[in-house]
Amino acid sequence: MYSWILRVNTVLTLSVTVLAALCAVASMTDGLHRPSPAVELKVLNVGPLERLRNGDDRIALTLSIKADLESVFTWNTKQLFVFVAAEYWSPEEGFNQISLWDTIIEKKENAKIDQQIKSKMLRKATRVGYFTYPFQGKDLRGRDFNLTMYWNVMPISGAFFTDKAVVPGFQLPISYN
Amino acid sequence: MDWEGQRLAELLMQYILLGSALVAFLMGYVSGSFSSMIYVYLAGVVVTFMATVPDWPFFNRHPFTWLEPLYAEKPSQRVLARQQAAGKKGVKSSQARR
Repeated sequence: MYSWILRVNTVLTLSVTVLAALCAVASMTDGLHRPSPAVELKVLNVGPLERLRNGDDRIALTLSIKADLESVFTWNTKQLFVFVAAEYWSPEEGFNQISLWDTIIEKKENAKIDQQIKSKMLRKATRVGYFTYPFQGKDLRGRDFNLTMYWNVMPISGAFFTDKAVVPGFQLPISYN
Repeated sequence: MDWEGQRLAELLMQYILLGSALVAFLMGYVSGSFSSMIYVYLAGVVVTFMATVPDWPFFNRHPFTWLEPLYAEKPSQRVLARQQAAGKKGVKSSQARR
């Protein structure tokens, strides 16, 4: 502490240490936060079920996506990555997820979603979708599926985490058109 | 900066930095804005720099008290060597005179 250079060095070192502690404490406050998101997912219209030449099945769904994710935002939230996946399970293929829609919410003011979208549900699409699993099944006829909204919470500092809301009880057409 | 001044500077630095961190966290949390926390903390860091880095007069209130200088009885080895190298006569006599 004798010369001014030593004092500059000491002040900078301690200030960065305290800054790290501040960020750690700020990210801990996220653990106290209990969000209460409201998610409403509906299938408005189910298109014809098609069989493709390569053996995959394809179907177009019209979805109504309503969600209020304002309560997910805290003072330490940078942005949300939101996506809606169709999920189904079958004994031979296991668990499958197909991402149908996604968006990025950067501000709390934009966290209310109310959209109608038309989406394709294509077997091969799972290969480029999110959280994909290898899969070699036969068909989508009469398949029960869930619609699930996931949101990845990206904080300014601290841990990245994912939350979801599952809406069960949808079924695809029993026969091809 | 004297010893007491260095102690004071270090204490000032720690108190101002930790205090501004506390104020910054509370302000950021209450106002719900991470960036305001960072700005308040940065202001605290600037204040710390201003308070502790320059050699302010209040860091020099306890001046050093040095002991009185002590003088050697004999000429130092270096002086002797230099005199021998010069090869002057009367080196011994000059020593004897002392």
